[in-house]
Amino acid sequence: MKNKFLAVLFASVLAVTTLAGCGSSSAPASGTSDSKSSETKTETTETTTDTASASTGKQTDGKNLPTLTTEPLEILLWDIATDDPGKSTQEAAVQRFMADYPNIKVTQVHQQNDNYKQQLVVAMSSGQCPDMYMHWGGGPMAEYYKSGHAIDITDMYAKYDHPEFIDAAIAQSSYDGKLLAIPFGGLSGCDIYYNKTIFAEQGIEVPETIDELEAACEKLKAAGYIPFSLANASKWTGSMYYMYLVARHSGNAEFDAAYTQENGGSFNSPAFIYAAEKIQDWVRKGYFPDGVNSLTADDNQDRALMYDGSAAMMLHGSWQSSGMKNDNEEWYTQNIGVFRFPEDTEAKAAGVPQNVEIGTAIGNGFSFNCFKEDGSIDQEKLDACYVLATQYYNDDTYNQMQVAVGAIPSIKGYGADTVDDPNDKVVANVFFSASNVQLWYDQYLPASVTEVHKNCMTELFGLEKTPEEIGAEEDAAMQKAIAEQ
Amino acid sequence: MSKGKKEGLAQAKAKSTAKAATVFLLPALLLIAIFIVYPVIDTFAISGYKWNGISTDRIFIGFENWKTLIHDEMFWKSFRHNLTVMVFSILLQIPIGMLLATFLDAGGKKFNIFKIIWFLPYLMSSVAIAFLFIYALATNGGIISSLATLINGKRTTVDLLGTSPNALFTVIGVMAWQFTPFYMVYFIAGYGNIDTSIYEAAIIDGATRGQYIRHIAIPLLGPIFKTACTMSLIGSLKYFDMIWNMTQGGPSGSTELMATYMYKLSFQQFNMGYGSCVAAGMFVLITAIALLFNKVFKVKEDY
Repeated sequence: MKNKFLAVLFASVLAVTTLAGCGSSSAPASGTSDSKSSETKTETTETTTDTASASTGKQTDGKNLPTLTTEPLEILLWDIATDDPGKSTQEAAVQRFMADYPNIKVTQVHQQNDNYKQQLVVAMSSGQCPDMYMHWGGGPMAEYYKSGHAIDITDMYAKYDHPEFIDAAIAQSSYDGKLLAIPFGGLSGCDIYYNKTIFAEQGIEVPETIDELEAACEKLKAAGYIPFSLANASKWTGSMYYMYLVARHSGNAEFDAAYTQENGGSFNSPAFIYAAEKIQDWVRKGYFPDGVNSLTADDNQDRALMYDGSAAMMLHGSWQSSGMKNDNEEWYTQNIGVFRFPEDTEAKAAGVPQNVEIGTAIGNGFSFNCFKEDGSIDQEKLDACYVLATQYYNDDTYNQMQVAVGAIPSIKGYGADTVDDPNDKVVANVFFSASNVQLWYDQYLPASVTEVHKNCMTELFGLEKTPEEIGAEEDAAMQKAIAEQ
Repeated sequence: MSKGKKEGLAQAKAKSTAKAATVFLLPALLLIAIFIVYPVIDTFAISGYKWNGISTDRIFIGFENWKTLIHDEMFWKSFRHNLTVMVFSILLQIPIGMLLATFLDAGGKKFNIFKIIWFLPYLMSSVAIAFLFIYALATNGGIISSLATLINGKRTTVDLLGTSPNALFTVIGVMAWQFTPFYMVYFIAGYGNIDTSIYEAAIIDGATRGQYIRHIAIPLLGPIFKTACTMSLIGSLKYFDMIWNMTQGGPSGSTELMATYMYKLSFQQFNMGYGSCVAAGMFVLITAIALLFNKVFKVKEDY
């Protein structure tokens, strides 16, 4: 009896572990097998010169684009569109493309967001890098390019038709003056969401300067509210406060200098010290929730504090509008407003621009990795990828589907007028009137510095280190990254 | 003559056994070679390169990575965390597992329900456990903080995962919750292997149940105890999945283990060369500790 029981137990343990093994490895396995079969297929299929519907009725007709091959071609595409609405929007774009070019087969592999960067590294290192893949720009994009996995498309972009992307989007898709990606995700701003009801109840006006913001916090604190909801276990969330305070104090000049570490640039320059001291002062005054470093943004614990009415404000990415609306539209409409990060009066008086915004102008971009066996560029495939990314992703149908779910395509002509949600209108106005859009540090900095920066955010909000120590740590990491380049 | 023939037969039998053994062992050997031996060797090879993991050029830099590793504070800090986890794992999981097993062994069939309930944590995947405890320990609406609020009568936060020394011990506690059932079953099997005649003999000789357990059963469980410790030791030195999902090594590196550090370097920071060096360093350290442990225990057994 006992042995039988044990046998059953062990058998079930084995079953569970083998299943777990399957689950985690199935996604990449399907991806790699696809790419393999596509290679062999394109090589072995005989050239069927079946010139049927060559140039009739395509949505690309009449545009200045490369002529695509009429031979069978397979494209392996990686994205993270595992859930709707992104999934159906992006799959529809690929379907439209394949309907126009029936000889080209696009295999979309939707990877899990959490492990996407790691999956991509593994695929690249084992020579299985997909033909086109999404990313978030910034430091990793530069790394892909330097390792030969992102083709420079500056010339193609100049030569052929493309959507009129806003300048900030092109800037964030470029590295070292070379265009490396086609944006397709839409922009995200970063602003302060606030509870209108609480503000009205306490008689607080929307603050326009940091001093007013602090006065509002004081009032809220006295009334028993948590002024800012923040889930800093995710670290990039706390970083938003740091980035904005730096930007308001120096208009980003000091960050640009610290990034190169040249001309006295340092993460210990006045704007960084100002930002770190301000945050620690706010922590001491109780402007953030208790246990701020153990709340996670992944499961929306920051939003939860807004929902239960215990917190009054939340500095966050603009995707929060649709997130909160999805959870409870009625509550959202009644209670939630948004305002841009207040200005630094002293810096403004000194002439520092107060309209540098934090966010992303691209959301996601596609880079291309189309090479032949001998290492030369596979122009046929690259042409097809270019047409897919610029004419089917980013076409009117695609953009309308994006707008319908509250996203703002990073294309000229979209903006405050094309969104319905009043909060999204504010976000769009702030974004489009920005003099400069600084990409989130944790995506902009080299990957090794990102890790240090994120840990510093924990230490900053946890009051474990002084502003100077944090600056020194970031400087050391940045110098090391520059030396290794 | 006949003797010689007999030997021939024996030899033939040995030969055919060897053949059969080869046939049966070959697939396993092949798999071990491909998925364990080769990666280990390759890890050591890559540790000699400066390589971002995705580029085609690797630059051979000899022992540079190893020199960095020896002076890498973060690595030794993670190693100390691993040692802490190891010590507490052995001190918590094995004694508790043994107690539960003893209880179940004494109870017999009527305690089968406990057996099933207590084994459940081990059947859950580490990822699920990680999320379960993230929610349970959340400072906003988690079980512990809610209880504290209830008792205190005002909003009280118990921050177990977000502050420095707490986080590591919290994670150790969750690990104990997850793995104790495994050692419980292991010891139940150990008790099952003790011949009933020994028990009967002891009872006939007038031993009480307690005396039987203390003087006969536990000494007989010695070898099992040793294996359990070795497994717990190796397990806690290479631990990764639950910690990764619960804290990602945070807050600010206070639950960083060698494996999470290695993963971050290799797959997030584009530093595969040095990441491999950390992995190789882990391999060396774990092997050394396991061997040392075995040696120490053997010496004790000889007394």
